[in-house]
Amino acid sequence: MEEVKKILTVCRSCHGGCGVIAHVKDGKVIKVEGDSESPISHGTLCSKGLAITQLAYHPDRILYPMKKGDNGWERITWDEALDTVIGKFKEVIKEHGPESIVIGQGTGRDYESHLYRFANLLGTPNVLTAGHMCYVSRVAATLITCGNLPICDYKAEPKCIVMWACNPQWTNPDEYKGEGFWRAYKKGSKLIVIDPRKGFLAKKAYLWLQLRPGTDAALAFGFLHVIIDEGLYDEEFVKNYIHGWEEFKERVKEYPLERVEEITWVKKELIRKAARIYATVKPACINWGVPTEQTLNCTDCTRLLTGLMAVTGNLDVAGGNVFFVPPPVRTVSQFSRHKDLSPEQRKKRLGGEQYKLASRVALITPKVAWDAILTGKPYPLKAGLLCGTNPVITRANAREAYEALKKIDFLAVIDFFLTPTAELADIFLPAGTWLEQNHVADNWKRHGYALARQKAVEIGECWQDHKIFQELGKKMGQEWWDTVEDALDYLLEPTGLTWEQFKEKGYLKGEQAYYKYKEKGFSTPTGKVELYSTVLEKWGHDPLPKYTEIPESPVSRPDLLEDYPYILNAGLRTPTFFHSANRMIPWLREIRPDPIVEIHPETAKKHGIEEGDWVYITSPRGRAKERAKLNDGIDPQVIVAEHGWWFPEVKDPGHGWDTANINILTDNSHESMDPVMGATNLRVLLCNISPCGVE
Amino acid sequence: MKKVSLIFFKNDCMGCHACEVACKQEHGLGVGPRLVRVIERAPDFIPIYCHHCAKAPCKEACPVDAISRDERGIVLINNELCIGCKECMEACPFGAMQFDDDREVAVKCDLCIERLENNEQPACSKACATGCIFWGDTKQLSEKIVAAKSKSVNPKLDREITGI
Repeated sequence: MEEVKKILTVCRSCHGGCGVIAHVKDGKVIKVEGDSESPISHGTLCSKGLAITQLAYHPDRILYPMKKGDNGWERITWDEALDTVIGKFKEVIKEHGPESIVIGQGTGRDYESHLYRFANLLGTPNVLTAGHMCYVSRVAATLITCGNLPICDYKAEPKCIVMWACNPQWTNPDEYKGEGFWRAYKKGSKLIVIDPRKGFLAKKAYLWLQLRPGTDAALAFGFLHVIIDEGLYDEEFVKNYIHGWEEFKERVKEYPLERVEEITWVKKELIRKAARIYATVKPACINWGVPTEQTLNCTDCTRLLTGLMAVTGNLDVAGGNVFFVPPPVRTVSQFSRHKDLSPEQRKKRLGGEQYKLASRVALITPKVAWDAILTGKPYPLKAGLLCGTNPVITRANAREAYEALKKIDFLAVIDFFLTPTAELADIFLPAGTWLEQNHVADNWKRHGYALARQKAVEIGECWQDHKIFQELGKKMGQEWWDTVEDALDYLLEPTGLTWEQFKEKGYLKGEQAYYKYKEKGFSTPTGKVELYSTVLEKWGHDPLPKYTEIPESPVSRPDLLEDYPYILNAGLRTPTFFHSANRMIPWLREIRPDPIVEIHPETAKKHGIEEGDWVYITSPRGRAKERAKLNDGIDPQVIVAEHGWWFPEVKDPGHGWDTANINILTDNSHESMDPVMGATNLRVLLCNISPCGVE
Repeated sequence: MKKVSLIFFKNDCMGCHACEVACKQEHGLGVGPRLVRVIERAPDFIPIYCHHCAKAPCKEACPVDAISRDERGIVLINNELCIGCKECMEACPFGAMQFDDDREVAVKCDLCIERLENNEQPACSKACATGCIFWGDTKQLSEKIVAAKSKSVNPKLDREITGI
């Protein structure tokens, strides 16, 4: 028996980038723990990261490539698997063109650089990611407004923190994990929480604004109204660095507090108080999350929040929302050779004409992919490669996603387990977990770090995703490297380090600077913060942000209220699971055995529902069954439901994908999506509830 | 020798359950026994854990003297001696005594005694992202908690309690 070796690496059980020490004995990881030296997590580690050994060594994990034959799944070699995928892709390219191949990913295991390189060199503009409604949509909206995504500068200790529709301590944090926030909070920051549900942070907050789900953009107008009305804005910044200030002010006037209160259900005096604190207790930062993105107000809401940061002078100042400077590692964009996708192919991007902002960031919204598969319009998608994604669970209108993926001629998936999506595939390619990866991690992020994720072990025949794209690419005749590590040397080249040297170092941090705009301006067409967007104007859209009522709400559809009297706030995240992942992990499932729907006690009583009862949640599109938990921290008219549920223990190939899946209820019609980004509404719709009774 | 103990500052528990998984991993436990457990009553979270009581009811209740309290005050169970009668589980006022169905013995928090010997903090405390799990010198701990409670807003995060 060998001694225990300790390998320093970086977690990827969510977006977190937390430092990990993996204890390896006899070629097996026997334990993981947080790395106290990590600049991101300081030794802490969440339940998902801590449970990685139960995922990596799970008895159901698929450890070799497979093809679906007449008798179900059968084991094949990597050569056969790759040859089958490439053979099919070449056939499709010859008959229909590369655009008829869709490449997709979920939230990603840090492989977007490799996935996009494969797609771009293949020549397909159709890359299907979660980005239409998660993170990338925030990046895209800030890109056209102020040039980049402004991140909370927690290390510099903001005096006021606005936690807007976000719970970074519980769920997938985009830049830092919640620990950075917590440290700042503990130093005495005033915390303002905006959330329809009273969670831990609402309890901790100085002010809690309990808004009607989906009305975030209107609430932002309320803040702006107070700030402009009371002259609380930074005059110098506004004068020198905002494009369209006068027009923007006029637009804000359309949202007096009375109107905002009516839309958002938040008392105007509370809005006034919160706005005054945010504008005057400086530095202040806003940490905002996906619920603001997952409605048709996606782009406008982020633009309004950016507006708040800008007009209060909290943009790119220490302790405000800042543009961190990354270390000089090659970017995802450079590595993936976006520029090499020809203009002709770009023009063929599905939905590209309609969803121009999505197209700007090189992705498509799922609806256009499903349409292309199901209707053949504007041209058919014939083959797909999906990596680490489970769209039949996580995308709006799950039934349509399921039908489309069932129908597509050829589907290959890269994953750990036979998920409900993987079960629809023809070829299964087994991916390595983060314990099985060498990578320059987090190089796509905006927190200023690049982290060394170092391989601790190899398991079965699994390959890290990067290697899968590399070997597929090479078989397509694309330009790649001999080994994964050679490609990492290329990524690291501008830093002067090789992968081997970087590994020793652990991480790199960019040199942070503030007020960069004073010298360089903002990376927008006017060089200013474009609250009046010249880009949106050019595209024929309203250049000023606005609040659009949710298409299925008590306000817009009173006719539905008799049958669907409640507002469903879907997609509650929990700390043990990551979207549709981890339901098979014993330690985690023990903590959360069932999908939970939260109901106000008064509402539950009306329906004869008691704590722990199974409940049907029904929308005009279908129903899901989850278990009731009573919560008086939500409005009696609001129902809060978890997302991501399927049941690995159900052994038929559907694995219960349509029983507790909240996306059976959601809509993905074009009218329900953000008009420039194609963000689907995964969050706010009308529903009814009823007890399931004895079954 | 100074007495050591474990205390959760409940107000700062955000219900992430990292402590539970860290504990299971450290003690090689599967589904079933939960030596530390957080009950969710959003927005409140109630950690259930062993307080290593000075006059431990579990110890008093054990008919075969399998439970002892060492010189540092850590209440330990000797699984070789345990007959699986569950008297200790009845006696514990906190619900901290657990049962391992596989081995048919009671199990409990040992404050990560092996880690303490290596000068490492208990696994639950290390994983905790809000730093609400304190361990160390019992007297100092009580003072810290009183101090934390008395501050009306944002008690300072304090990871400096090492005690031993």
